[in-house]
Amino acid sequence: MRDYYKGYLFILPAFLLLLIILGFPAVAAFLQSFNLMWVATPSFTLGAYKALAFDPEFLTSLMNTVIFVTVVVSSHLVIGLGVALLLNMDLRFKWLWRVVAILPWTMPDVIGGLVWRFMFDTLPGIVNSVLLRTGISVEPIDWLGNPTLAFVSVMLAESWRGYAYPMLILLAGLQAIPRQQYEAAELDGCTAIQKFIYVTLPNLKHMIIIALVLDVIWESRLFGMVYSMTGGGPGYSTQILTLLSYKQYFQFFNVSYGASMAVVLATVLFFISLPYLRMSMRQQL
Amino acid sequence: MRKSKQVWVFIYAALGVMFVYNLLPFFWMVISSFKTELEVISYPATLLPNEFTTEAYEKIWLQEGFLLYFKNSLIVSLSTAALSSLVGIFAGYGFSRFRFPGRLTLMTAFLATQMIPGVLLVGPYFKMLTIAGLYNTLFGLILAQTSITLPFSVWMMKGYMDTVPIEIDQAAEVDGASRLQTMFLCIVPLVLPGLVATTIFAFLLSWGDLLWALCLISEQSKQTITLGITQLVGQFRVQWSEIMAATVIASIIPATLYLILQRYLVQGFAEAAVKE
Repeated sequence: MRDYYKGYLFILPAFLLLLIILGFPAVAAFLQSFNLMWVATPSFTLGAYKALAFDPEFLTSLMNTVIFVTVVVSSHLVIGLGVALLLNMDLRFKWLWRVVAILPWTMPDVIGGLVWRFMFDTLPGIVNSVLLRTGISVEPIDWLGNPTLAFVSVMLAESWRGYAYPMLILLAGLQAIPRQQYEAAELDGCTAIQKFIYVTLPNLKHMIIIALVLDVIWESRLFGMVYSMTGGGPGYSTQILTLLSYKQYFQFFNVSYGASMAVVLATVLFFISLPYLRMSMRQQL
Repeated sequence: MRKSKQVWVFIYAALGVMFVYNLLPFFWMVISSFKTELEVISYPATLLPNEFTTEAYEKIWLQEGFLLYFKNSLIVSLSTAALSSLVGIFAGYGFSRFRFPGRLTLMTAFLATQMIPGVLLVGPYFKMLTIAGLYNTLFGLILAQTSITLPFSVWMMKGYMDTVPIEIDQAAEVDGASRLQTMFLCIVPLVLPGLVATTIFAFLLSWGDLLWALCLISEQSKQTITLGITQLVGQFRVQWSEIMAATVIASIIPATLYLILQRYLVQGFAEAAVKE
């Protein structure tokens, strides 16, 4: 249409708003990490980044983030694909199963962290109570006091809370697979497992990549769950990058140091999201 | 596809496992909130309360000021959802209906901003809001949360509007409608389920936020419900039954919203994710 220039006017409010509330602070964070903004004597320095490379707390948090995201996203995809396959069948009470499947995701992550913290509580928690009553364990286990168990507990909690997001994406992908392909496979004498491997998975490839990338980004940005469940402890065994960056900035007031960690995280996330960005753009052409 | 009886037994057994797995934490949260202060810390824990009491709710609601936190959260989340949906409608329409130079670049930029982690922004925000005199105000918090929700809203609205045939715009143009009229009177009513999904999504993101409230609100009377709850934990006078009562209160709104509108959310969400 001839009035294409009007498009700019429709975009303008969102563009200006985002420039102020998102573009500016993002640039400011970069400048802060180089000690160039909101300081008495701005001078360019890579000091914060050099310090990062030798900071055991940062390196541990970085490692924790990588492990956390890998484990949680993998479990999300496995559980999510399983549940999506179930929900894609001709079930009775379909709405009920669907509601139950997505319910954990409606719980804010801070709240989820608190509920699971109480579930794993050493004495009055339900986990130890069940283990004791079924005779699996005689003594109460100190889930959140032991560094390794605490990390496992947090990952279990987030595996529970967040899987509905990739599940919904995969379910949408499943629903888009043409029925004829399954019928053809059946005529060729494929078993259920063969149909899954040769029809379902290849058709779902795109959606799996989208679910993977988006979930990695969500889980890397996670903050409230860990903050409320363990606060990063014991020691810094469950500390993830978002939590450390927040602490450096707002508790220790190491502004440029906290900013540099956030910049590292944002840069990594940007590169991870590139395949998704490219895929989305190709669809728009 | 026909399945044998054994397969169906397996399917419903798997659904049963999912049912228990998904609902167990909810069950635990609700049950604990109705226990007495003494019972909630007893070992080993009881699976059902021996004595059923609403003590914890009364204490949280009245003594700890959760009525106010709840109200603050509602104000912030509703405003954030409304602001990002309104601006999102315009931008979504612009991207969906106009082919202007730089459209693809701008759209990529909007999409890429979804990947920015909140911790990157929250530090500079603290400084910006302090300078603007908006630190420790609900308005400042609304602006901050809009920076997270708006990019989603724009993309979701654009996705829904793409599903409406362009012929409708052309027909409206023939009838002499302006672009604004076309958008509000013809397109928005057709993508109403999508608009609902977009608004709920923004609302849920805002309602569940902790990071922004933690960094941008210092006064107790301005706290949101998530922030209020985290401040309760570890306090000497507060028992788990009260914390669980507070988490029930904070979960009710998002869970109810979802139950009422789940059809739209699932359908709408799927459409936006597929982006056909």
